[in-house]
Amino acid sequence: MDLSSIFNVGTLLNTFNTATIVILAGLGCLMSEQAGMMCIGIDGMMTAGAFAAAVGSWYSGSWLVGVLCAVLVGLLFGCFYGVMVVRYHSDEFIIGVAFNIFAVALTTFILRTVFLQSGSFHPATGEIKTLPYLSLGALGGTNINISLMVPVSWVLIALLQIFLYRTPYGIWLHASGEHPDSLRSVGRSPEKMKYLGSVLCGLFCGLSGAYLSLGYLSTFTENMSAERGYVAVACVIFGRSNPVLVFLAALLFGFIDAAGMRMQGLVDPTLTAAFPYVGTILMMVFLALRNQRKLKAKAGHS
Amino acid sequence: MRKFLVLLLVLSLACPLLAAQAEQPKTPSVCIVVAGGLGDRSFYDSANEGITRLAEEFGTVTGVIECKEDGSLYESSLFDAAEQYDYVAAVGWQFIDALKKDDSVLSLFPDTRFLFIDNALEDFPENLMCITYAQNEGSFLAGYIAASLSQSGAVGVVGGDDNDTINDFIVGYEAGAKYCSPEIRVERQYANTYEDPAKGKECALALYNGGCDIVFAVAGKTGEGVFEAAREVDKLAIGVDGDQKYIDPDRIVCSMIKRVGQSIYDVVSNPDEYFRGGTVWNANMETGYIDLGYGSEDDPQQVSNQLKETIEALKQQIISEEIVVPSVFAVAE
Repeated sequence: MDLSSIFNVGTLLNTFNTATIVILAGLGCLMSEQAGMMCIGIDGMMTAGAFAAAVGSWYSGSWLVGVLCAVLVGLLFGCFYGVMVVRYHSDEFIIGVAFNIFAVALTTFILRTVFLQSGSFHPATGEIKTLPYLSLGALGGTNINISLMVPVSWVLIALLQIFLYRTPYGIWLHASGEHPDSLRSVGRSPEKMKYLGSVLCGLFCGLSGAYLSLGYLSTFTENMSAERGYVAVACVIFGRSNPVLVFLAALLFGFIDAAGMRMQGLVDPTLTAAFPYVGTILMMVFLALRNQRKLKAKAGHS
Repeated sequence: MRKFLVLLLVLSLACPLLAAQAEQPKTPSVCIVVAGGLGDRSFYDSANEGITRLAEEFGTVTGVIECKEDGSLYESSLFDAAEQYDYVAAVGWQFIDALKKDDSVLSLFPDTRFLFIDNALEDFPENLMCITYAQNEGSFLAGYIAASLSQSGAVGVVGGDDNDTINDFIVGYEAGAKYCSPEIRVERQYANTYEDPAKGKECALALYNGGCDIVFAVAGKTGEGVFEAAREVDKLAIGVDGDQKYIDPDRIVCSMIKRVGQSIYDVVSNPDEYFRGGTVWNANMETGYIDLGYGSEDDPQQVSNQLKETIEALKQQIISEEIVVPSVFAVAE
């Protein structure tokens, strides 16, 4: 076992492909986080989106329709989340956890009663059209194939970065979470911005689900997101809701996961599975220490 | 008029009761409690097939309880099943802790017959029968085929997780590959889940990137991801438990078949011959519960007829114990 079998082009490719699931969900999560709402329910939104994408793509025979279905379902979930949290002031965590459980149960129920299949969606007739693949030639003996959604997610990161930090809407969105009263004092409604945040959250989670069922895999399976949404939440916290930082955090997670998996020959396989989570804890410790140092520095100045 | 209506109502209520009484179930009812979820097109679906056939052929009352890998459900699901059914099959090695306890479902339901599929306890009461499968024998053949078809000199296997049953597959697979060409490299990768195809794809891609050109999927539904990976990099794969060739006939060269459903079917439909309480039944290649499948004849075949003949010869050698395939389990003779 040498290092090249752990760190190679395949590892990087693997990192980018799997991280895209987390990146898209993270983008959703950070939109609601910017508006001061912690949406723990993104995992459920992803599952619902993945299901809608697979069914839409199969029914229409077009991946584009599949993606639109996923986005639509994500938007619905986002609206519902917004109404519950902004209008009825319900607890965001409870709603989020409810989403996660509800989405898994609902998709499983529909799969079994309407499509009469259990476990995964394998239609007898027709096929699930998947997102197009981009072949970027070979590097180091590995063919580089990436799903269309991967570069799309990068474009989205750039757009969101501009939206959040270069447009008034981004500032308002942030203010609606941080200082809703000051936003109100300039004649803007913080509620509207919060609605915008939660709807956009649903939209990106839907996209993440679509990538999961039409890009990374080519079918829907029950409980497909497999708690990847929580990883996204951790990335958002670590990346302080900044799209570029969240992107880097997701890549770091993906890399730890991919490299850890390839280390199974050296380390016990049950231990390698814990690597991403050990990574999370280390990151949080690092974050806490850095914050403390900042606070101390501030105290020293005054 | 009113009396007539009342009579009609009473009759309509009584009718189903009468019908139910007239139709006494001929065969005992059976429930499978699966550790994961149905729809893996592999291990659990095979078990489900067995009881579906029972229902079709004998009108047996059947039930399925899925635990979805939730460890807290294993024990309670067995109790639920035992309360309602005559036969309860615990499908999955994961049930070992729930059955090992002193006050387990076995002692509380002495009249219910239990089957423990895919694993064995050390000593246990008369109302339980453990069925293990000689997956090492079938995997030996799969390993032989993998090594014959491999051009890169490396073959891989994706296991569900690091436990005895899965390792039994891997040990057999490795032995078979080495039997074919002693120089071959056999690489393994554990997904640590049976329910997450995305994880399975990552594992398989790691193996394919590492130089393997054929990967054996031993991970239930996680294995679906292995086939997805094979399609993405256009390399070969081997299926497990059921004949999975149909999933991707161009890339799945063969499947290691483990007739879980058949064994449940046999025990429940013919208990006098098959049910041996208090014993471990090792269903092996000799009795036909372990086999190799190449899909239907219309499918494209990657395994040449010549190789198939070699495999057939190996199979006979295993049955006659000329070849003793290594196993993780110390098989008590």
